[in-house]
Amino acid sequence: MVKNIEKSHPADCFLHADPVSSVWCPGCGIGTVINTFIQTVEKLNIDLNEICVVSGIGCTGKVAEYLKFKSFQVNDGEVIKYAAKVKSENSDSKVVVFSNNADFLVSGAEDFIETGKNDVNILVIHINNIIYTITEYRAIPTTPFMRASIDKDFELPFNIPHLAKSCGARYVARWTPLHAGWLIYSIIDAFYKKGFSVIEVISPCLMYYASNDRMADAAGRIKFYDTNSVIKHDESTENLDIRINNKIIIGKFVDKK
Amino acid sequence: MKVFPTGVKVAQGEVHIEKDICKGCGFCVSYCPMDVLEISTEFNAKGYHFPVVKNPGNCIDCGLCGMLCPDFAIWSTLKEKKEVVEL
Repeated sequence: MVKNIEKSHPADCFLHADPVSSVWCPGCGIGTVINTFIQTVEKLNIDLNEICVVSGIGCTGKVAEYLKFKSFQVNDGEVIKYAAKVKSENSDSKVVVFSNNADFLVSGAEDFIETGKNDVNILVIHINNIIYTITEYRAIPTTPFMRASIDKDFELPFNIPHLAKSCGARYVARWTPLHAGWLIYSIIDAFYKKGFSVIEVISPCLMYYASNDRMADAAGRIKFYDTNSVIKHDESTENLDIRINNKIIIGKFVDKK
Repeated sequence: MKVFPTGVKVAQGEVHIEKDICKGCGFCVSYCPMDVLEISTEFNAKGYHFPVVKNPGNCIDCGLCGMLCPDFAIWSTLKEKKEVVEL
């Protein structure tokens, strides 16, 4: 693969030319996560034909169209099941799942639990956008605590790292798009784990949260990541709820052999 | 620019911008540690304000702009190492 980095972007050889820069909103965290993933693959020096990317529906589902690796875009709720099936058929491949809240919290949770219990060697990069799809004003599993909703239905947001740990995941971490440097090394660690590993990336949806003053523009948004997150490695996963006025705890929580 | 002790060489980088695929989110401008970039007053083909290089001599090829860019529109390359003059 010949690259002329003076003239074109170093990641261009991993991307399809057409959909570049036309899919996501300006400043969306999904783009940064893909950028990070490509930098990781560049660092790893592995055969690109071994990598298989599976993604589901919505904005995160576009990841599979975007990358030049072997990729599958499947229905919601079947992402983890499909990835486990791909892994069982091709034992040499490295299967990476890009999922969002609609992909496994709502309809595919039992597959997530089953895959974790069976310890299938896949890497799940869960992009938590704090909402899912159509429901704008209704409380959903990942709505932040005490955020106003029409049905006055306040619940603690679903704790994905705790679910992953209790399913028996060997590697659990949580980052934000600002912590791209940490995320690179986290993905490298998870790549070499021979078991189920989950990385959650907190990237609130721009469309719904841009109306809040604190995330009006990209500079304010990246400042939000900076001021509202605190790195605590090996924190107990029970404390990882995202509550309002509390800082988002990020870091590496589980790292088993 | 920060002055380093005698003999320390600072990398000199060069920023490349593909202005037509930029969406003007401003991540690179707000987080550039050496204050190299600024948002231009012109529009690109999509109608966004893209970043332009303000101080080309300041770039140290840290790669933060290329790491954070969601649209693969900016990256930096190493040009040469420059000597820091002793004060």
